[in-house]
Amino acid sequence: MAADSRPLAPRLLLVVCLLGGWLVVAVLLALAVGPSGWHLGEVLALLVGRGNGGLEETIILQIRLPRVVLAAAVGAALSLGGLVFQVLLRNPLAEPYILGVSGGSAVGAIIGMLLGFSPFPGEMAMAFAGSMLVLLVVVALASGRMRVGRDSLLLGGVMMNAFCGAIIMFLISIAQRSEVQQIFFWLMGDFTMFSNERLPVLLPLLPCFAVILLLARPMNLLLLGRESAATMGLSVERVTLTLLLANTFMVSVVVCQAGLVGFVGLVIPHICRLMVGPDHRLLAPASLLGGASYLVLCDLLARKLPASGEMPVGILTALVGAPLFIALLWRSRQ
Amino acid sequence: MKRLFFAIYLLVVLASPAWSRELVDQLGRRVIVPENPQRVVALAPSLVEIVYSLGQEAKLQGATQYSDYPEAAKKLPRVGSYVRLDIERIVALKPDLCLAVREGNPKHQVEKLVALGIPVYVVDPHDLKGVMAAIHGIGVALGVEPRAAKVVAAMRQRIAAVAARIAKANSRPNVFFQVDAGRIVTTGTDTFIHELIYLAGGVNLGAGPVAYPRMSWEQVLALRPEIVVITSMAGGQTPEQLTAGWRRWPGIPAVQQNRLHVVAADLFDRPTARLVDGLELLAALIHPELFGPAHGSR
Repeated sequence: MAADSRPLAPRLLLVVCLLGGWLVVAVLLALAVGPSGWHLGEVLALLVGRGNGGLEETIILQIRLPRVVLAAAVGAALSLGGLVFQVLLRNPLAEPYILGVSGGSAVGAIIGMLLGFSPFPGEMAMAFAGSMLVLLVVVALASGRMRVGRDSLLLGGVMMNAFCGAIIMFLISIAQRSEVQQIFFWLMGDFTMFSNERLPVLLPLLPCFAVILLLARPMNLLLLGRESAATMGLSVERVTLTLLLANTFMVSVVVCQAGLVGFVGLVIPHICRLMVGPDHRLLAPASLLGGASYLVLCDLLARKLPASGEMPVGILTALVGAPLFIALLWRSRQ
Repeated sequence: MKRLFFAIYLLVVLASPAWSRELVDQLGRRVIVPENPQRVVALAPSLVEIVYSLGQEAKLQGATQYSDYPEAAKKLPRVGSYVRLDIERIVALKPDLCLAVREGNPKHQVEKLVALGIPVYVVDPHDLKGVMAAIHGIGVALGVEPRAAKVVAAMRQRIAAVAARIAKANSRPNVFFQVDAGRIVTTGTDTFIHELIYLAGGVNLGAGPVAYPRMSWEQVLALRPEIVVITSMAGGQTPEQLTAGWRRWPGIPAVQQNRLHVVAADLFDRPTARLVDGLELLAALIHPELFGPAHGSR
């Protein structure tokens, strides 16, 4: 693992400062820009506590702020989630929804919508219950013989997603027109439902972030393979299960708030790996900060680009992310 | 500190109209509306039409996408689409009243506007009676009740005139109403079109619990429609293209008798006074013997 013999601390500091600074810039920009215009001055005035209570301030604090916070939280969680699954499943195609979390929560949320539940807490609770149910099934399937099997996890997740996909299509076919539109917005990622009162719902993300960041070194060892990791003194089963639960819980929390935002969790960890290298002690914080700022900026574009209304953020994540990743891949091959 | 500023802002917003009234909207919600609202944002194309029909267009500050009738409405600033409102743009227009529809406008977004201190008057029409109640309610909210009463009375009179003629009909033909150009999607019982077909002296072949059931040609052939009405979404296909699919089936009575009609979708899917135009058109298509040849179908 000692590919890079330079000391860790200064490099970690550099990564955190650079990406953290980038996140701060992205957040300020996202607060300052919106369909009703540029309000950089007001944002800065609010920062130094010199707000004037005007209309712009209401827009910044009540409309833009909850969205920006949600986008940052979702971006961070999905990106970290993708990274952890790429390690656990040792598969570069792994992404945060791979164990069926997306399908389960979508079925839950759509049933909630069709039953006429309010988005919060009704639909949210249904989405969360759906994803937890799917997780239970997948882990139970995979954890025979006292260990969580990698391939059976992967296959179980893919099957559950396919099964849920069929249920989703069925539910769409029986839904009313106006409901169908709401369902599609949910499936493409929807930040409009969030409001400041719901911010505490995101708090459970923090312990999950902490657990995953603290397990960065064991994640390095896991990549060597189970046997090698075990010979180096790692309790493979316990670490695997802890990461699995913390990760799925974290992803479920954001999915039931924001719907299915695709692509972030797949590509941001890869982009960060190309930039900071394979050491998870750097890669995990980089993915967290990188994912947060990436989604904040994508949401900014989603709100600002269309002349009227907004486009679903899930479209932009892939539209921007795929070419970016291809360009980086091209450069690293040269 | 921020909370304090927001509270002050709310106070200013709520207290500034010297006179305000408490109304009850079509959902039974209590809404505090200024005596004479001056900055109105209409959150659906139908609501824009209603405001115009009441002669209050000068008060309109914003509208949603596809608000294209009357022509002048196209120039109104846009605040997203009616299924996905752009809250920031709405707030920036500083409305003193928003008009909303229950079906379509997302509930959480309406609640957000209310939380931001903007009065939102919601209408929820399910039939012609509901449309007239909505027009009346909006008239009251805009402070022009007499004008709204006139519009509603004119609608009532025209509906009664159609009913008087239909009463003389000796048959109720089977009508198949196709609402989607590409696929065969028709209209169930819980739609305006079902009511209009009935009032126009026909039988809706799509009647049933599903609002917009999708059908196969096999089902359509078995239904043997005597009249087919197809709505055209703006632009795109010619009436010949729209009816071409039907002409492949000469066994259908409507095809044999050449009773395939293409009509403008707006007259049938917007809960406004124009539904009565749709009713008159439909009655003329279903009972030409009572109304003379129809104008407006293609």
